[in-house]
Amino acid sequence: MVGELQMRKYIINSFLAAVILFAAACKPEIDTAVGTSAGQANFSKYIAVGNSLTSGFADGGLYLEGQKVAYPNLVAAQMATVGGGSFTSPFFTDAQANGSGYLSLTALVNGTPTITPVLGNANRPGSSTLLTKYTGEVQNLGIPGMRVDLAFAAAFGAANPYLERLLTDTQVGTVSYFQFIQGRNHTFFSLWLGNNDALGYATNGGVTTDATNVLTDKSTFALLYSNLVNALTAGGQKGVVGTIPDVTAIPYFNTVTVAALLNAAKAINPAAAAIYIQTGTGTVRAATAEDLIRLPFQSAGLFGVPNASGLPYGLHPLNPIANNWVLDKDEIIKVKDYVVSYNSTIKSLADSKGLAIADTYSYLNQVKTGLVIQGVGINSAFITGGAFSLDGVHLTPRGNAVIANVFIDAINGKYGSNIPTVDITQYRGVKFPN
Amino acid sequence: MKKILLSVLLSAPLWVLGQGFQVNLQGQKQIGMAGAGSALALDEASVFFNPGAVSFLEKNSVSAGVNPLLFKSAFQRTGSNVTEDVKNKIAPPFEFYAVWGPKSNRWKLGLGVYTPFGGLVDWGDNWSGKYTLTSLNLKAIYIQPTLSIKITDQIGIGAGFVYNHGDVNLQRALPVNFPDGRSGKVTLDGTGKGYGWNAGIYIKTLSDITFAIVHKSKVVTKLDGGSAEFDVPNSLRTSFPAGNTFNAELPLPATTTLGIGIPLSKSTSLAFDASWVQWHIYQDLSFDYATNTSALADTKSARNYRDGSSFKLGINHQASDKLALRAGVGYAFSPVQDGYVTPEAPDADRYILSAGAGYSFTSKFEVNASFFFEDVKSRKQKNIETGLDGTFKTLVYAPGISLTYKW
Repeated sequence: MVGELQMRKYIINSFLAAVILFAAACKPEIDTAVGTSAGQANFSKYIAVGNSLTSGFADGGLYLEGQKVAYPNLVAAQMATVGGGSFTSPFFTDAQANGSGYLSLTALVNGTPTITPVLGNANRPGSSTLLTKYTGEVQNLGIPGMRVDLAFAAAFGAANPYLERLLTDTQVGTVSYFQFIQGRNHTFFSLWLGNNDALGYATNGGVTTDATNVLTDKSTFALLYSNLVNALTAGGQKGVVGTIPDVTAIPYFNTVTVAALLNAAKAINPAAAAIYIQTGTGTVRAATAEDLIRLPFQSAGLFGVPNASGLPYGLHPLNPIANNWVLDKDEIIKVKDYVVSYNSTIKSLADSKGLAIADTYSYLNQVKTGLVIQGVGINSAFITGGAFSLDGVHLTPRGNAVIANVFIDAINGKYGSNIPTVDITQYRGVKFPN
Repeated sequence: MKKILLSVLLSAPLWVLGQGFQVNLQGQKQIGMAGAGSALALDEASVFFNPGAVSFLEKNSVSAGVNPLLFKSAFQRTGSNVTEDVKNKIAPPFEFYAVWGPKSNRWKLGLGVYTPFGGLVDWGDNWSGKYTLTSLNLKAIYIQPTLSIKITDQIGIGAGFVYNHGDVNLQRALPVNFPDGRSGKVTLDGTGKGYGWNAGIYIKTLSDITFAIVHKSKVVTKLDGGSAEFDVPNSLRTSFPAGNTFNAELPLPATTTLGIGIPLSKSTSLAFDASWVQWHIYQDLSFDYATNTSALADTKSARNYRDGSSFKLGINHQASDKLALRAGVGYAFSPVQDGYVTPEAPDADRYILSAGAGYSFTSKFEVNASFFFEDVKSRKQKNIETGLDGTFKTLVYAPGISLTYKW
């Protein structure tokens, strides 16, 4: 009996020990080649050329949190496994993390948001517009407000505080963005520029008042864009270009709808029959669902306010919503036509140079109808859609992660590399107040 | 035969009950034989495997066993080079059986308490599929009183009533962010019950080859008034009200098993079981919230399971009067179709390997041990509902031990 007990103990102990060792050793393995090859590309020095989207501008401002998750920064981090080098960005310091200032969602009552500005803290002493200078190597070359046409205007370096902060005093007003991005010994580049050549016009309601809201001539765009591509590929470098999204794919134009305004009006005056707008041609007519009203109209405090004659704003043909608040049907057709033309230029130049194409135009059109990625629903709804920040134009961190993957997929597809994609679940959408 | 599930909300939830939720651990001897044994009157676990065989048991007995189960699943998102593993958590499938009947009579009573469905997966709060699931703890405990009658010396029949007590706790992250950037979270927790039956016929031919036909009915388990707790920023509280509850229904499928037992020698027998698991009843998973809001609608998620099946072959060898050795192999076909694989039950076809041993210390007291291993095939999937896109690979390890007292 003693022998049996010992034997039993021995058997059980051996059995358990074997089981534990076995289980610990035998973790499930999943093999992958991802993250092992740069393919035909060389990512050792990547530079990112572009506008606000490239800079990480979000929530109506450029601030540190947004800068850190700008899509080029996310892409660069993923490139590290396939030979990517360090990637420098003109970050604001922690002490000036609010940068230019930005918008914050401070309340949400019955679906109505209250959006409050957070003041910037990176202004240069004595100036309300200029920002603290940044000196040193910069690889994220995104400049909010940059356009293809203005990339060649040296004077813009003095007018645009985001470019101004990166230039030396002698360069300001004398060096164009086109010149600024050159001579950086890059091995790889991304170029996502041209959005503002159409968007500047659209977000001003189709009204041109200065160089930032002119609709860039199509052939001018083609010429200047080819200059950019030629400069960036002068040393035979490979790269990726981004197409320009349809301006109507963003919440900025899809949140304050004609129907929503009419419903609001009817709630106060059931007799309200139509919303009246002034079109780009000066005509006054009833608005339809095909006319888009700019997001800031929501908080402009104009709608329904009677004029001197007692006629409510936007609700009477003699007091219509002004042209600059509305991208009317004809203006939409026009701006869409320009975007299609720009994109045709971008794609053909990219093809001729053997560059990858991140087709954000197509992708954001999919987002407009809604996508589900890794359990996260993403669409172009304001605030709840998750992809667009509080300005209705620029991306949330989650939106940046999604777009970073569009670029990575394009690069991998073109050059045979296998840069790992970004885990989008690690990036937030809009922050909701507690 | 089945299991549970849950899901929920905002855009897309998920749910699954799969082979992955089916726990093939109901009797230490049979586990050692890969889960085969419906056609062998081996022991009191026949209450589960074949109530018809219970009346052929020579002794009255009571036994209790446990099979600590380690479900090691890994996920690699498509396009990523990072493999994410579930946390090491031990699930405790157990079994208790008692069989009693007057020695001279042709009938026996039996009672079984066992865990035919369950799942314990914890992917952590911040993995790449967190918006589909962070953790699931699912338990179905079947309680089965049984009557078995030996109609002739060759044929036994038996049937039992099944009461299922189900517990489920499912958690996932919500893609809404607090001011500090962290995600919201939902926890669904509920208890349910269901009823069914388990009946079988045991046939012993003159050549001593034995046959079994067993049918375990579906057990539709209803969860009423489970708690649905949403951890969201206060500005969204009206959309996700506190104190909400949900109802859900978990259809645990019927299983029909055909078994054969073949005595190879006086001391060695072979068992083969083929099972047809009627998962087609699991067409969708629906959650009905007591309070709905514009952001929280009731959900109905397509599952579209097909029937699953398994084939198991085991051998039992009585090496001496006291020592028995066992081994088994098996293969199971997943009921989860492409596009419906989820992290709660990252299911795929699987191989089963097992080994076991039993030792009789006296004529009354017996110890049995087993080791059960499943290799669930690697499966690359993009879930239709959640878009979760990646490769799952799972290995299951379950050592077990039971104690039996016979008289």
